[in-house]
Amino acid sequence: MVKLEASWLDQVTKPARYTGNELNMVKKDLLAVETTFALAFPDVYEVGRSNLGLKILYHILNCRADIAAEWVFAPWTDMESIMRENHVPLYTIENMQPVADFDVLGFTLQYEMSYSNILNMLDLAGIPLLAKDRDETHPLVIAGGPCAFNAEPLADFIDFFVLGEAEESILEIADTVISWKKSGRQGGKSGVLAKVAAIGGVYVPSFYTVAYHEDGTIANITPNHPAAKPMVTKRIVEDLDKAPYPTKPIVPYLDVIHDRVVLELFRGCSRGCRFCQAGIIYRPVRERKPETLLKLAKEIVDNTGYDEISLTSLSSADYSCLHQLVGSLMNQFKSQGISVSLPSLRIDSFSIQLAQEVQQVRKSGLTFAPEAGTQRLRDVINKGVTEQNLEDAVSAAFESGWSTVKLYFMIGLPTETDEDVKGIADLAYKVLNLYKTIKGRRGAKVTVSVASFVPKPHTAFQWFGQNAPGELARKQQLLKSLLRDRSISYNWHDVEISYLEGVFSRGDRRLGAVLLEAWRKGAKFDSWSEHFKYDVWMEAFRQTGVDPEFYNLRERQKNEVLPWAHISSGVDRQFLWKEYQTAVAEGFTADCRHGQCSDCGVCPTLGVEVIDWEGKA
Amino acid sequence: MTKFRVEITKGEEIRYISHLDYARTIERALRRSKLPMAYSEGFNPHMKFSFASALSVGVASQAEYMEVELKEPMDAAEFSARLARTLPPAITVCRVKEVVGKQPALMAIVNLAVYHLAVPLENKDEVERDGINRAIREFNAALEVLYVKESPKGRREIDVKQYMAEDATVTVGQEKAEIMFSIRITPQGSVKPGEVLKVLVKEFQFPGKSEAAVITRLGLYVEKSKTRFSPLEMG
Repeated sequence: MVKLEASWLDQVTKPARYTGNELNMVKKDLLAVETTFALAFPDVYEVGRSNLGLKILYHILNCRADIAAEWVFAPWTDMESIMRENHVPLYTIENMQPVADFDVLGFTLQYEMSYSNILNMLDLAGIPLLAKDRDETHPLVIAGGPCAFNAEPLADFIDFFVLGEAEESILEIADTVISWKKSGRQGGKSGVLAKVAAIGGVYVPSFYTVAYHEDGTIANITPNHPAAKPMVTKRIVEDLDKAPYPTKPIVPYLDVIHDRVVLELFRGCSRGCRFCQAGIIYRPVRERKPETLLKLAKEIVDNTGYDEISLTSLSSADYSCLHQLVGSLMNQFKSQGISVSLPSLRIDSFSIQLAQEVQQVRKSGLTFAPEAGTQRLRDVINKGVTEQNLEDAVSAAFESGWSTVKLYFMIGLPTETDEDVKGIADLAYKVLNLYKTIKGRRGAKVTVSVASFVPKPHTAFQWFGQNAPGELARKQQLLKSLLRDRSISYNWHDVEISYLEGVFSRGDRRLGAVLLEAWRKGAKFDSWSEHFKYDVWMEAFRQTGVDPEFYNLRERQKNEVLPWAHISSGVDRQFLWKEYQTAVAEGFTADCRHGQCSDCGVCPTLGVEVIDWEGKA
Repeated sequence: MTKFRVEITKGEEIRYISHLDYARTIERALRRSKLPMAYSEGFNPHMKFSFASALSVGVASQAEYMEVELKEPMDAAEFSARLARTLPPAITVCRVKEVVGKQPALMAIVNLAVYHLAVPLENKDEVERDGINRAIREFNAALEVLYVKESPKGRREIDVKQYMAEDATVTVGQEKAEIMFSIRITPQGSVKPGEVLKVLVKEFQFPGKSEAAVITRLGLYVEKSKTRFSPLEMG
């Protein structure tokens, strides 16, 4: 057990990140269970504590009396120095147990810029970084989450990946590990890997060989082990309504990012925005019933004492029984001073009416995501939002008393011209002027937040060559020169971080060497601009002889074997290619949710269907 | 409307949380308890409860005080039991007393805090023990001890001694030195126990690391004409 000295904690910022003891924490006797999992979030406590995926797995694993699951986060750099100085290994915050003592160490992969932290955490734990250097005496290092859909850059470090929703597969994995341990760890590490490889959704990268063409593109990815499936398909929960949900979540002491009741209304989103990876990998849409959600909300409020319920989903306003749900939640909780919040709003007046309903208790600004500045470009990305929709939504908001509006956009989308960039400024001014027209005076505040588009695997834009950093910076400056009004605040992303994200999001196994080299040179917390070291990364590319632009800036050919060719989200590659072509032709693809199947392939591949409770509940 | 004065602890396990975190933790426990809490009026109603004094990150406490308002009458014992059920294990309810009639707020009357500091010994020899005793003796004898408070708001020089209610005492054991002193809380400000220790190290060559000290607040008091009362004994 790790013991922390007062003198160490006195020197670090927010020492409560490292001391645990939060309400609803599950602390078991680790010697009294059959297997142990350390659930790792490769970023600082306040970010990781909010992750719903790990909360669900923590709940499912700990519900079993014979399994213990504990949390571990990346220590901030001040604490890391102290730990290294005093030879304190990375530990879980429940039992303060060194991570190296666990049977399984599972990382969630939420964003590519956390990869260097994974290496750093393995190192802090005293676990060899490379999977090939580890045997059955080390924890099995596994990973899941959205980035596992192209996990190739981590293939050297991770023993196996868990694709898709792990509600079921995590217990199949745990049972496999338990029986392997009981057999006296038969076959050593490769023995257990061969067993887990048979579990649906489990991908063991060392069981596949990648061959390359002379030009560097992939020739083929072939299984080299009898247990390896030619194609690994993601797992999903067929009936979300019956799926386990953490109704007794840990209540942190520190003010973490999402410090409220998180009520997951549904999984999946079939609006079909062509840039969006979540829209593909979480398909199809599966809703929870409103009565189930009300019951979950009551239990969580009783167990946590939170004063806010956040209705979370990829597009919460699309929940088919939203009106009914919001009404019953308000009824139940308003008198207790508990508010309901919608993290994202659809751009229409229905959403404003709803926002007005829920904000009876508390009022804040409104956020919309038109994503692109012109109708033409919104058609390219299949956003399905018109200028009129935005005008109606914003007018309704101003009429109902809001005056602060935040607008999210992207630059660097396929087919984008300077006209589209100017369109962002035009929209911002239009919103300002609408306020003046409606209210007869100035006074609106508009925030324009512009991200740089990073093409993601398993999307229609997976073939697209990302804009070069210089081009993105030029567009950022162009927009800056156009947004001159003091009522508009404008913020944008670091182009260098987007550049690197672009490399890793569509990278292959050859990036493992780059990642290792960059980590050795001190790369960590890359998503934090104060820690991001672009030069270190560029030096790592040079030393390993890897050309980053092969991965991010290059337009791929239709038939190129992509690094994630053996990983399936259930959506057909042909569908994605067709979507790319439709995008360039500015064509529309309808939301499949209400009967109009777009033939993406996910339902037949996974043997499931869209679950929408409208009219049935 | 019913108002209770409550004596609670901040346990060892949550020593490192801030006062704001502590307050939020209590608020959530109150909400879980389903006690009939009173709320303020207005668009953003907030639960009516307040603390006598804030406690720093890293400091545990054997006796903190808060006032809690309910919108309905309730027996103090019932209130205490219901709150105790929902508090995290690191916080204990010690005593509860109903506040009868109009009384000044806790924050306005509490004017003294007593601290215990355990400082681990480094060399555990006579030189170190003598050094500790000497430093405390000289600190007690000094008329004025200046300390520069640095905060995001800027630098400010204060006289630490003006806040010391009495001589500091020290017991040097086998493994650690245990220091106790009382600090005045005044409308013009106060000093933190960790700052007193820093001054001892810096100005009086107290042998030891101030950052290694384990600090506990033993109590908060209302001092009136040289007599100390617990906030629960007032009124």
